[in-house]
Amino acid sequence: MKWQDLKANPRLRRIYDERIKIIRLTREFFWRAGFLETDTPVVVRLPGQEPYLSPIPAYFHEPAGTEHKFYLHTSPEFSMKKLLAAGYSKIFQITKCFRDYESFGGAHNPEFAMIEWYRAPGTFLEIMGDTERLFKFIARKLNIKMLEHKNYSIPLGGKWERKTMKQIWKKFIGVNLDDCLIAEAMQKLCEKLGYEIQGAYEDLFYKIFLNKIEPHLGIKKPIFIYDYPAQMCSLSRPAKDPRYAERFELYIGGLELANAFGELTDAESQKNNLEEDRKKRKQLGCEVYDVDGNFIDAIKSGIQPAGGIALGIDRMIMLFTGARDINEVIFQSASDMSR
Amino acid sequence: MVDKETQKGYFRFILYFLFSNFYFLNGMSQTSEIKKGAAIKKDGDIYVVTDSQHVNPGKGSAFVRAKMKSLSSGKALEITYKVGENVDIVDVQFQSMQFLYKSGELFAFMNMKNYEQVELGADLIGGETKYLKDNLEVIVGMYQDRPISIQLPKKVAYKVVEAPPAVRGDSSAGNVTKEATMENGLKVQVPIFIKEGEEILVNTDTGEYSARA
Repeated sequence: MKWQDLKANPRLRRIYDERIKIIRLTREFFWRAGFLETDTPVVVRLPGQEPYLSPIPAYFHEPAGTEHKFYLHTSPEFSMKKLLAAGYSKIFQITKCFRDYESFGGAHNPEFAMIEWYRAPGTFLEIMGDTERLFKFIARKLNIKMLEHKNYSIPLGGKWERKTMKQIWKKFIGVNLDDCLIAEAMQKLCEKLGYEIQGAYEDLFYKIFLNKIEPHLGIKKPIFIYDYPAQMCSLSRPAKDPRYAERFELYIGGLELANAFGELTDAESQKNNLEEDRKKRKQLGCEVYDVDGNFIDAIKSGIQPAGGIALGIDRMIMLFTGARDINEVIFQSASDMSR
Repeated sequence: MVDKETQKGYFRFILYFLFSNFYFLNGMSQTSEIKKGAAIKKDGDIYVVTDSQHVNPGKGSAFVRAKMKSLSSGKALEITYKVGENVDIVDVQFQSMQFLYKSGELFAFMNMKNYEQVELGADLIGGETKYLKDNLEVIVGMYQDRPISIQLPKKVAYKVVEAPPAVRGDSSAGNVTKEATMENGLKVQVPIFIKEGEEILVNTDTGEYSARA
């Protein structure tokens, strides 16, 4: 939306008014729950290693002209975990994150608002509880009973659903995910479903997940899907069944809202996972940079068992306001500025 | 004599030539071509893309989610492709045409350069039929001489034919609007200062008032 829209279109004006309130209420919720609001730079020297995210480079120059290559962060995760290592135990942060090569519109904007919060000590189940309470707190304050997305109206009340990835695959695909934890097995399943596709395990996994499962998630009530196949989780600790890892995502009306981990606090495995991701980036021809050693040192110094989450604020606002596109909740989105 | 480097260059060119043609003959295209108005051949039918969105699951490569409509049955379908997956995209020609008239469930358009006329069913145009007005320029997608889709201008100017004076009552909510009727019957929420006879711009994505024309 542009200022002209805010002036002429009452629906967009109402959405932006609600945005302001929702962000304020989010802060209120966490301060009341005893969290501290932290503040870390948007620019980092060594961003995350997620193989399919593209951090945007930013060049800083000292007065004498010495150039430093930094990146806009794709998430404040590393910085916030360093704060956990420094001894902070309940922290949250509302910040802008940046990811290149993403759609201008739909459910994406290259610059987007994210809230991350961490509990150390804490578990990812506690984080699920926080998430549900946050939504219900905002809804109560704004007197909203239903979330809207596409043609769905999703009631907020009642206990939200919690299902493992394994239960979900059983329900929608009719297979035992235990039998599909290696690429060959997943490849066979793809063929059985009529998908002519080759690729890494997670590509095969998501081909099925995005086509057959995701559009149905969280249509009747919001749902947390937890315990992902271990190879898809570089930053989470193993679940009780070590073939899976403590990771969950929140889906409402088929839209993915948040991604959370039982945080990996073992420095050695953390380093190995990130080095693996880095190798993968190299294979894929992505820009490569070192693993943040300062982050590994922070984990090594000792962090209590922790849970943490990243939740997309713009998408949350879409659901609360019934906006049809992320461009309707962002002032001067990339699409607005490039048209 | 041709030196080694030049030889290498020739060799590379031949390789490129062979592979690029092979790729072309194969008829398969890239997912980057999936966008509104494109047409995909699948299971012996043609599907017209009505909407497409990038999906990035964070862990795993990017995907493109395409909403489409079957040309034979009009049935809607949603398929999510991995970026780089082979998709059989067929060639669609886009022509600028003017809306002529509606007859029953058929909408007629004319190419003003060669005066060729085509007709599209309401099922293919979908909800966008309400934006059509006499002589409106649209882009018609043609697949093998058959019209399969239309694309409206982002904003269209309409003459307001009916705009009852606003009731000034509850204006506590700030911006107050009223319903106005356009020359083609389209109903739009407009600011209270808009009067009959004025021309306004309407956003055809959302159906909302945009500005005075």
